Amino acid sequence: MTESKLSAAVATPDHVPASLVYDFDYYHDPALCADPHMRVMDLLKSAPPIFWTPRNNGHWVLAGHSANFEAARDVEAFSSEIFPRDQMAELLAQLEETMGRIPLAVPINLDPPMHTKYRQPLQKVFSPKTINALSGSIRALAVELIDEIVDKGQCEFMTAMAEPLPVQVFLKMLGLPLERLAEYRELVSEHLSSVDSSNAILTMQKVVAAMRDTIIERRDNPQDDILSMLWKVEIDGAPVSLEDMENYAILLFIAGLDTVMQGMGHGFRHLALNPDLQDELRAEPEKIKQASEEMLRRYTFTVPPRRVSRDMEFQGVSMKKDERALLYLPAADLDAREFAEPDSFNMSRERAHIAFNAGPHRCLGSHLARVELQIVYEEFLARMPKFKLDPKRPPTFHGGHVLGVDTLHLVWEV
Amino acid sequence: MKIRIDKSACVGNARCANISEELFPLDDDGYIKVTEVDVPPGMEQLAKRGARACPERVIHIIEE
Ligand code: HEM
Ligand code: SF4
Repeated sequence: MTESKLSAAVATPDHVPASLVYDFDYYHDPALCADPHMRVMDLLKSAPPIFWTPRNNGHWVLAGHSANFEAARDVEAFSSEIFPRDQMAELLAQLEETMGRIPLAVPINLDPPMHTKYRQPLQKVFSPKTINALSGSIRALAVELIDEIVDKGQCEFMTAMAEPLPVQVFLKMLGLPLERLAEYRELVSEHLSSVDSSNAILTMQKVVAAMRDTIIERRDNPQDDILSMLWKVEIDGAPVSLEDMENYAILLFIAGLDTVMQGMGHGFRHLALNPDLQDELRAEPEKIKQASEEMLRRYTFTVPPRRVSRDMEFQGVSMKKDERALLYLPAADLDAREFAEPDSFNMSRERAHIAFNAGPHRCLGSHLARVELQIVYEEFLARMPKFKLDPKRPPTFHGGHVLGVDTLHLVWEV
Repeated sequence: MKIRIDKSACVGNARCANISEELFPLDDDGYIKVTEVDVPPGMEQLAKRGARACPERVIHIIEE
């Protein structure tokens, strides 16, 4: 990664004191792209807990745990509607004139009370009960993927396991045809490479187009899947419309695939680097649940964006209406003020982490994510001999709203 | 010992029930079902762990 990739720095607004300015390009910071959580540890030591960076048009970064925790729960001060509602409506209307209908990932991008109306119906669909019922089929899919690679002595983990598993679970759970796996994997990779670019809308439209016939089919012939369940919910007392269904489909596509994938990427890199931990978990698989939880804390990887909704003082910092703020959750969960020796991997921690955020937007898919991650750790460790990083091909990473693993080459003896 | 739960701030992530389903029963949507619990003798440690596990910090222990 070279300097030239950094976004241009803009002038710092007058109300931001020099002591709060810290230069950090959350997409292209070279150290972040070289080893994300190493850089996050460094950020906590060298930057203030709330700082302003001049990169990417200038914005706040909430790095400390208490700043993140408070901001996540104060949805009036920190809005999830990244553009003010009237601006957004105008923008959408303009775009839709040329592009056709644009699906929206509600309710992740809405504030209460609208947020609550769209989130409430999803709650039952993702409750621990519904998800636990899926664990048998998730395990079968995981075992199938592991069987394919176990004799090979090596794999690129992201394409062999981390990406196909969540995509298959997604298809299965929603009731989408498994024969179209290849098509969906293609869409996922298109989505991953177009995130945060102007092609993102086009990709979303393609995803919706790919699902539309199944969505309609489930309205007319309900089955035992989430699309059928969602057709039965009511939003604010009214039946769901096809547009609502498309929005939900997009939401789950965006929120549920890349995330689980990266959770696995960071976790398996840690395991590959720590053979003793592999041994310990193979000998005592009942510890995997705690290990999986500590992985989420140690390698928290999502960075939700917010808009400051009014001029205000926040934890002693003066912020202005419509400034952007990132909830830098990876830093919150490595904050030494909250977690003693934050960079050590300690399975007996009891303090809750906020890898799934806190407050009204807290991840709805956390039960599903936990089940998927735990099953993959269990089955992989049970079926695979000791694995390590391929010394010839070290892992590669990216920054942005999801601190992610691009490639993770593993090797083992066969 | 008693537990008081600020039910309106529960976001339904079942971390408490993961520690003890008996102390922290959930409704069908995964939200906590109760607002106050008398902790049976011998379950004080579980109650404290449940309170620490809640990401929203809405479970409060009232020592007696
Ligand atoms: C390890 C994996 C995952 C992580 C770390 C994660 C993290 C998060 C975070 C931090 C948020 C809050 C976003 C914000 O505050 O703006 C969120 C929201 C959400 N997540 Fe996840 N997620 C994961 C997996 C999943 C899965 C598997 C699904 C479902 C298929 C899912 C569905 C959602 C939904 C629907 C929301 C929006 C909730 C709302 O706005 O009320 N997530 N997730
Ligand atoms: S852990 Fe806290 S937020 Fe989660 S269900 Fe229990 S009380 Fe509610």
